[in-house]
Amino acid sequence: MVRLITHNLLACHVKGCNTNNFPLQFKDVQIELREAEFNPDFLKGFMPKLEWKALVDAARQLGDTTLPLEQPEMLDDEFLKNLHHVLLEIHVEEGVMTCSNCKHEYPVSNGIPNMLLAEHEIG
Amino acid sequence: MAPQVQATSIDGEPQVYEEKNVHAIYDEIAPHFSSTRYKPWPIIAAFISSLPIGWIGLDSGTGNGKYLPLPFDRPGAICTIGLDRSRNLLNIAKNAGNTGKIRDVVLGDILGRGWRVAAFDYAISIATIHHLATHERRKTAVKRLIEAVSPNHGRVLIYVWAIEQDALSKRTIPVDGATGTRGQDVVVPWVLSRQDKGSQASTEPQVLNRYYHMFAKGELSGLVQDAASELGLQLGPPLGLGEAPISISRGVEMVQDGWERSNYYVELRCWELP
Repeated sequence: MVRLITHNLLACHVKGCNTNNFPLQFKDVQIELREAEFNPDFLKGFMPKLEWKALVDAARQLGDTTLPLEQPEMLDDEFLKNLHHVLLEIHVEEGVMTCSNCKHEYPVSNGIPNMLLAEHEIG
Repeated sequence: MAPQVQATSIDGEPQVYEEKNVHAIYDEIAPHFSSTRYKPWPIIAAFISSLPIGWIGLDSGTGNGKYLPLPFDRPGAICTIGLDRSRNLLNIAKNAGNTGKIRDVVLGDILGRGWRVAAFDYAISIATIHHLATHERRKTAVKRLIEAVSPNHGRVLIYVWAIEQDALSKRTIPVDGATGTRGQDVVVPWVLSRQDKGSQASTEPQVLNRYYHMFAKGELSGLVQDAASELGLQLGPPLGLGEAPISISRGVEMVQDGWERSNYYVELRCWELP
């Protein structure tokens, strides 16, 4: 399932594609919203590992503008609920993720991103 | 008589051999296979239970995703992302736990690097690396796991099948005379019964042979040593500042190295000098 928590980890791994290969850009996406249990302690523990700008940009590509451009100092409930929604409740079901650098396209089908490469593309 | 485990040898390109003798078979047997793999093993469950809240991890070769819902006593405390080469198994893994919760899964190869470097806090690879057909590829798989986790605090757990089988195991492993510490390549039959194949199937049950490399004693820890050395990591417990030679700044410690229920396993912890 491609939720933004997963998208925030994925990078292009085509042979020789080592710079500007993260984050992948969404295109032609179909999304579904599914409620998930709110766990503020998980979010607080996970936040330091996020690439924040990539998350905010990806959320905006999917039409969610609730997150601030900078990680806030104060983690109030409203912010954590917005973060929860963006990370864990938006599911990309279909679409394409494109590398900004080499333009390789990784398809998302039935909620599963396909990160497989052909033998000659592997670094 | 039930089909037996047989010794085998790899012919041709390893990735082509694996495609035919591992990946294609898992896609074929996915629902039946999944129905026989539901109970988490205790050491793996204990490892996952010990992880701090907010950690994110990779299950490399997740199969039917049976470890994705863990820990059961703290659901949602950590997030494990499942990676596998079998789309049919991933379609099952998406719903692992049958709680109505959708799991994050990715179609990919365990030798790939579709992640930003050190993106994860932990990685597990359970009963997967033994499906790779050469020593070199198995070593690369261990390197990929270490590279996937934080150099500062990353933890890794690996399980592979052992030549030394449990007394309760129904399998006997043919070991040709001169294997030493290099393990044994075998094929293990999977019998798809008529019920599994629906009504159009022939009367004979279909037997599909999956490739395994059965590990010898010391072989898995040897792979870890070689992988650590190739990644420029000190193998052993964390060194203090001043204790380490100038050239050493990062390392990996093997905190467990054991055998359980016909499997060898290792647990690794990464460390980094400040």
